[in-house]
Amino acid sequence: MSGKEIVRKRIIVYPSELVYLLYNAFKNIPSFKIKPVRTVFLRQVYFCGIETFGKMVFIGLFAGIVIITQITNLTGLGSGVLTGKILIWVIVRELGPLFAAIIIIARSGTAISAELSAMNVNREIENIEMMGIDAEKYLIMPRVFALSLSAVMLTFYFEFAALFGGITATSVFWDIPFEQYTTGMLSSLTITELIASLVKSILFGFGIASVSCVNGLAVSESITQIPQAITRATIHSLLIIFILDVIITVVFFI
Amino acid sequence: MITFECVYIKDILECASFSISEGSSCVILTASEPEKISLLKVFTGLLMPDSGRISFFNKDISSVSHTELNQLRQKIGIVPADGGLVSNLKVWENIMLPLMYHRNLSQQAIHDVEEKMKNIMNKLDYDDEITRLPGHLPIYKKRLAGLVRAMLMEPDIIIYNSVLEGLGSDIKEKVIKIINTFHTEKKGRVSLFISSDERLLNDIKADSIYMLKYGRFNERD
Repeated sequence: MSGKEIVRKRIIVYPSELVYLLYNAFKNIPSFKIKPVRTVFLRQVYFCGIETFGKMVFIGLFAGIVIITQITNLTGLGSGVLTGKILIWVIVRELGPLFAAIIIIARSGTAISAELSAMNVNREIENIEMMGIDAEKYLIMPRVFALSLSAVMLTFYFEFAALFGGITATSVFWDIPFEQYTTGMLSSLTITELIASLVKSILFGFGIASVSCVNGLAVSESITQIPQAITRATIHSLLIIFILDVIITVVFFI
Repeated sequence: MITFECVYIKDILECASFSISEGSSCVILTASEPEKISLLKVFTGLLMPDSGRISFFNKDISSVSHTELNQLRQKIGIVPADGGLVSNLKVWENIMLPLMYHRNLSQQAIHDVEEKMKNIMNKLDYDDEITRLPGHLPIYKKRLAGLVRAMLMEPDIIIYNSVLEGLGSDIKEKVIKIINTFHTEKKGRVSLFISSDERLLNDIKADSIYMLKYGRFNERD
């Protein structure tokens, strides 16, 4: 393959495939009325968004403690309002959606690309199509929306646990009353913060889902291509969430 | 019901023509496994002709929309050699998948279908747990599950891919009996057997037998 061909494939073909997959997912939304499609969706939400609850809360609590400790070191004990503000900015604006996306990539994105590539190699997708079942409706669309919903759920778990962990840590370690931080937090927690966090988590979910599905479906010949597809999906998902993060942050906060 | 008119598909068919009429049974023997797999894709519209015409139920599959093609596929039951089961669904979910996907079944209808499924499985002496994932099953059992799945759809055309391969004489006899009964159960139903093993002819008595050779269907006497 020539250099020109590689550039064309990476810059034009691959992003078009990602966008086309999402376009088809939206086009196939009416298929939610089909029971097996709903079942696939609910299973994915359970796997990505519910089973991860405990781990996400755990990570959130500890992340909250670490962040508030560093902020308190920086601002001093008397600046409760400022500390609360920074906590909101760091957790709600940035870390919540980002951590949720990273956990989703590690747990669900890899699982989706492995599952789809194995199904393709074993000709299961072909067999599904032979039965008149549209693979895009049955396999792809529910995964895309389940991952996006799960990203929102995980972001919520993380943010709640991190804020709670942060405030509890200050009360326990430095004996500072809850109200001192909550005042700063509540004044900084505007609707813009919440919408930015929501938009980020939804778009991260779509990004991870499309990258994982496209890379999973690209494997068709050999089982040895599966680990390569998973690695590619993981790296590209990380890349795409950081690109999206920059775009959304610029749109909302500049 | 199925018509091929001078169909050309690169590396598979070279101006191949043949037809199967309503209610008949037909065997197509291929020289190799890959040829058989490609042929199965042709019969399900996964591979379209480069030139020529393939018709199912008098509809040219090259000119129908994707939705119409999927509707046609619902009338064609496939029994893949490896069962064609989805590995992340339990055996019974696999069997029920096309029915649940294509038909909005009521609770009573689901119950009736499950009864029918159990009935066919009993006839096949299928004694494995159907609430488990299919990974642990031997290939012939996966194929039997695929057979039950195809039959429950009540298709007008049923295509058996190496259906008797590797079966013991006892189970083979039961499968042949079920296949014969199924063929006559619905008026006009077509049974098509694709295999690369000529020994199939010892067990299946078909109305016509074709050999796929050099990309063409040659009828055998």
